[in-house]
Amino acid sequence: MPRLSTKEDLEIIGKQLLLDRQKVNKILIICGGTGCKVSKSQDVIDALNKELLMQEMDSEVHMRVTGCHGFCEQGPIAVIEPGNIFYCHITPDDAHDIVTKTLKNGEIIEGLLYTDPVSGGKVPKESEIPFYEAQDRQLLFQNREVNPRSIEDYIAIGGFSALAKAIGSLAPEEIIRDIKMSGLRGRGGGGFATGRKWAECREAPSDEKYVICNADEGDPGAYMDRCLLEGNPFLVLEGMMIGAYAIGATKGYIYVRNEYPLAVKHARLAVQQARKLGILGEDILGSSFSFDVEVARGGGAFVCGESTALMASLEGKVGEPRPKDVHTVIDGLWHKPTTLNNVETWANVPSIILNGVNWFASKGTKGSKGTKILALTGRIKNTGLVEVAMGTTIRHIVFDIGGGATNGKAIKAVQTGGPSGGCLPVDKFDLPVDFDVLYEAGSMVGSGGMVVMDESSCMVDVAKYFLTFLQDESCGMCVPCRLGTDRMLEIITDITEGRGTSEQIDLLEELADTVTQTSLCGLGKTAANPVLSTLRYFRDEYEAHIKNKECPAGVCKVLIEYSMDPEKCTGCGICKRACIHGAISGEKKEVHLIDSELCQKCGICRSECKFEAIQVS
Amino acid sequence: MLHYVTINIDGADIKAPKGSSVLEVAIEYGICIPHLCHVPGLSDIGACRLCIVENVTNGRAAVTTSCTLKVQEGIALMSNTDRIKKLRQNIAELLVAQAPNSRAIQDIAVRCGVKEVRYPFRNSDCVLCGRCVRACSELWHANALGFIGRGKERHVERPLNMREEFCKGCDYCIQLCPMTITPCDGPMRPGEEYLCGKCESQLMITEDVPESCVWCRLGEGFNCGRYAGLKAVR
Repeated sequence: MPRLSTKEDLEIIGKQLLLDRQKVNKILIICGGTGCKVSKSQDVIDALNKELLMQEMDSEVHMRVTGCHGFCEQGPIAVIEPGNIFYCHITPDDAHDIVTKTLKNGEIIEGLLYTDPVSGGKVPKESEIPFYEAQDRQLLFQNREVNPRSIEDYIAIGGFSALAKAIGSLAPEEIIRDIKMSGLRGRGGGGFATGRKWAECREAPSDEKYVICNADEGDPGAYMDRCLLEGNPFLVLEGMMIGAYAIGATKGYIYVRNEYPLAVKHARLAVQQARKLGILGEDILGSSFSFDVEVARGGGAFVCGESTALMASLEGKVGEPRPKDVHTVIDGLWHKPTTLNNVETWANVPSIILNGVNWFASKGTKGSKGTKILALTGRIKNTGLVEVAMGTTIRHIVFDIGGGATNGKAIKAVQTGGPSGGCLPVDKFDLPVDFDVLYEAGSMVGSGGMVVMDESSCMVDVAKYFLTFLQDESCGMCVPCRLGTDRMLEIITDITEGRGTSEQIDLLEELADTVTQTSLCGLGKTAANPVLSTLRYFRDEYEAHIKNKECPAGVCKVLIEYSMDPEKCTGCGICKRACIHGAISGEKKEVHLIDSELCQKCGICRSECKFEAIQVS
Repeated sequence: MLHYVTINIDGADIKAPKGSSVLEVAIEYGICIPHLCHVPGLSDIGACRLCIVENVTNGRAAVTTSCTLKVQEGIALMSNTDRIKKLRQNIAELLVAQAPNSRAIQDIAVRCGVKEVRYPFRNSDCVLCGRCVRACSELWHANALGFIGRGKERHVERPLNMREEFCKGCDYCIQLCPMTITPCDGPMRPGEEYLCGKCESQLMITEDVPESCVWCRLGEGFNCGRYAGLKAVR
């Protein structure tokens, strides 16, 4: 393709590419995101390619390997257009059928369709699947339209037209005003008003300014940023370019963790392709705006997601935070004004410029506008990435999109916002996903992690898990975070192991408060949230551990005892064979017994038993 | 020529040279803000968090460390409110529980009002204040010491754990280390640690005039900014 030297070039090329693509009427969209890759989608892609060649269909069918569609649990997934046919759990053996039946003759293969776990019926169309139907997919939807390795795909669906509009007809101040009015807030966790950040950075006097895309996503169970950067790196790039134009930056960095190899690869490829086309570089699209982006890899330290630590890491120093008495918009990377935004925040920018402020502001609540991508995981039927308008209730997300609890257990709580967030009980499920409301409730939207827990989860154990994570990931520089999380973990370990006292709960609360108020960076300031929120809503569980020395959910090993229910045990012997510690004995067809001395409380027998004969008390 | 700004600490208007930190100004004027990792002449990293103050803007008070906060015209700070005292006491308690075998840390605990230690003692021999590391790299440009590891694993170490030849033998790390002076009653054996608290008589003086430095002997052990005399070195 030729270099694009004006914005008219971009329009012409875009139209041409779209026409080219419309010539092929059958499209096979396969997810090649990390989630589906893990379910061996690469084998499926290879098999389908081979099959298309063998059947000589490769000219009629356009196969598009895309980024994540969000419904990772059902992977590998494919969508066939026209018809919007949705196939899930595809294996390489299905390739022949898909090509001969569906692509050639338009037949639908029943066996590959999605089964709705609620009604039990088959759903042929992607748009009719409840998981997708209940969402508002503004950003994620684009993933299926674009091959992340092809900038042409992105241009064909109108990509970079927001950039052309911005640098062609809008003044930087107008863009900042638009972003301010749209009400866009940072999607990485802090929820800071993006427009205000940009304005402050623009006003800061300096000859050089930087923009940074923070893709150092490290919350356990969360992968929104990975999905966006893997699936549509051009969108993020376009957002960064508009931001850079608005604040007056000439250089940008995408800081992505090295544990996301596909995201690194796709981001690098996107930058290379954009440079080749002249979208990145000097005098972009005939304007006087020049900008270039570099992709930097992070070593995987959680604390490097904190803005100042990230900048230190980019500068080649140890990834440690520094005090933010002077904000990074004034004194950031290499002491120059720097605007750092999360991947999802950047990805929201092009559509605001293109569709207008009112379009964006029409979604969401008073204080939180637009849509938010959430990583829905835990004890629910449908897990994956979901995108909803801000203000959607947690109940809608957990029950309508997530499909409710697995195994018919009662859902007890949801943990939002990753390790820095908090746990909300079921009676708070009518709260909307809103920065301010969730903060008031002791949790936060955060980066968008959402872990659903049922009655088999012990909330003290959950707090312990997150504390272990944070204590391990703390950089160790300041006292409250290093020693505070360590002591909190020590106290919680005491509680889960039956040594806790009531005074320790008070100490825990006091310490949590000190850590929150005095820590140096955001990691420490929010490190106590899992403890504080579980203490606030599940204090009875803490008290049960301390006063009655029991774990109501049957999780904390020291406090529980495994035993056999003689009424239910059929003597099948499965548990006996499964027990790796040799703690179960019994003759065939007779009630088995668990030797509590040998039992290590691993729970294998309990998960193997088909008759629910193994009790925990 | 030095430019001055006016700041307010605990209600008193103070003229402060531009570019200095709030803690430096406070010490200069005899306002006692406890601190550990700050050493005059070295960069401040805000690691110990003992020198926290309330920065009051528009009626909202944010807790921040005074060593890293640069003076600005018109800022108002509170160094000795109940909130700050409580937080400081909790931090000092964490420190003394971690490293009771140091007169400096014991003194700080007394100064910050720690009356009991509610955590099991640990008897660690480093509190990671980073004084040695900064002195080594900033004063002598030797870079013979640095931090290695993260979180609980963080410790002070020579480059690559072995490059001893970087050391110029200045001994500054030892002079500045708060762990080198044992408690007055001698070193505590593991399992026998306690909160010393013998210097409480010193505290009586500071409590009578909490906002001003009385040159109490509590600061000697850890080279309080007042005692350091390091400015000559710089």
